[in-house]
Amino acid sequence: MRTAFHKYRHVFLVGVQSNLVYRWNFAIRATFSLFHLIAAVTLWRAAFAGQTDIGGFSLAETLTYFVTLMVLQFFIGAFNEDYQVSEEIRNGLINQFLLKPVNYFAYRFTLFVSARTISGLLVLVPLALAMPFLHEYLTLPSDPWRLWMGLPALAMSAVIQFGIAFCFGLLSFWFLEIQSFVILSFAVETVLGGQVFPLDLLPAGLFRISQFLPYYYQMYFPAAILTGRIATPAEAAVGLGIQACWVVALLGLIHVLWTRGLRRHTAVGG
Amino acid sequence: MPAIHYLRIWLACVRYSLVRMMMFRADFIMWSLVEVFWVMVNLMLIGVIYRHTDSIAGWGPYEMLLLFGTSRLLQGMLMGFFWSSLFEMGRNIRTGQFDFTLAQPGNPLFMAATRKLDMDSLVNVIASAGIVIYAVHKLGLHPGALDLALYAALLGSGLVIHFAALLLITSATFWLIGTQGIEGSYFTLFDFARLPREAFRGVASLFFVYGLPAVIASNIPASALLHGFNPGHALWLALTAAGWLALAIFVFNRGLKRYSSASS
Repeated sequence: MRTAFHKYRHVFLVGVQSNLVYRWNFAIRATFSLFHLIAAVTLWRAAFAGQTDIGGFSLAETLTYFVTLMVLQFFIGAFNEDYQVSEEIRNGLINQFLLKPVNYFAYRFTLFVSARTISGLLVLVPLALAMPFLHEYLTLPSDPWRLWMGLPALAMSAVIQFGIAFCFGLLSFWFLEIQSFVILSFAVETVLGGQVFPLDLLPAGLFRISQFLPYYYQMYFPAAILTGRIATPAEAAVGLGIQACWVVALLGLIHVLWTRGLRRHTAVGG
Repeated sequence: MPAIHYLRIWLACVRYSLVRMMMFRADFIMWSLVEVFWVMVNLMLIGVIYRHTDSIAGWGPYEMLLLFGTSRLLQGMLMGFFWSSLFEMGRNIRTGQFDFTLAQPGNPLFMAATRKLDMDSLVNVIASAGIVIYAVHKLGLHPGALDLALYAALLGSGLVIHFAALLLITSATFWLIGTQGIEGSYFTLFDFARLPREAFRGVASLFFVYGLPAVIASNIPASALLHGFNPGHALWLALTAAGWLALAIFVFNRGLKRYSSASS
């Protein structure tokens, strides 16, 4: 256990260093995210004109939700982990991990955590710069339970985000090109993860169905706990239970894809 | 080189793109699905918002649908006719393979910008045109041939603005070699194209309506269908398109002078 901790601690530190090299890319990406936020603010402010609430939430609560999503995206979102795994499989770089006492999933997940630590901290810079314009729209509930239920939800969301990306990367054992799968999945995740609109604005039946899909737990669920769109601890507890089931299911799927994929994999060269 | 030769080159590129599409049929179908799905995502957003409100900045649901269809038409045409070529241009500048384009007997910008067509994005154009037609029908509008011709001309000006913006962004690669993926910022800036002009207020209006022309590129054609042709707006759009295109070509040519090729 101790050896494993040291092993992956080094992976984490290497990941931090290599991600700091791309700090400007993350910073530019974060700045452009602010433009998406401005588009969302403009659209929803216009939609709220003449009414105090939409779906039971005020303009400030709705915009707080979108700001929270933007920040969470940089802390727990999967960026290009699917392509990285795919590249390593297609180029044969994965062979080196088959010969070493390194768990490939744990190795990649550690790199994911290091990358999100850097990108998450970097997004706070443009956010701080935009705060003078944004603060009048922000309102966060102060119930303590939201924090202690939101944190595990965030941790499991990160695992689900990474797990889905990792699964798509593993498809490279079977398909030469995974880009179209990834983009299609990205579109599904964007809408069912609540990034286009808060999922609670869907018709009740569709919203109920979405609660049983993994995408709900990728981003909407932790954001909804933190921003007050989930009203009670009991509701959050049920969500945490379903989220945990999805984490287990995804880890199982990853195990199946990995073992079956390796059977198809051919390592060439010395 | 006479225009007829450029037309022949372009037709050869169209033929090449069609052959490539037929070679990778499954890929084409998959990407077409992706395009259609993204359209559905945006339609869902409009549907969800209008479940809870009657108007966004004075635009009703079908007016908004018309605006959305128009903005997708513009983006689809840009993606279909120019995106792949300009994206590749950025990559080729980084790797030095842009030498190949410069060695071709023709205008470098024409050769770089028209090499590949994306057929799946052109599917998106058909889907977007369907959305516009549906919205026009639901609004009870009956545009005549002249109205449609003017709408098409305004769309043309809008397309010039989209093209100029993408060319400007891609030309930045001549200076910023290390900024991979910068082309994606086009989508961020043109996210505003699907919003009504009246939704922007104060400083945001100055910047996003008068500074960044994404909003007028889609709003003016859509408004022409909704409220009739406005010569003042058409002139505004045409002058903006001409200005942005001139700026983009100037920056591209300055970048070309800076390009040092990959030869060792």
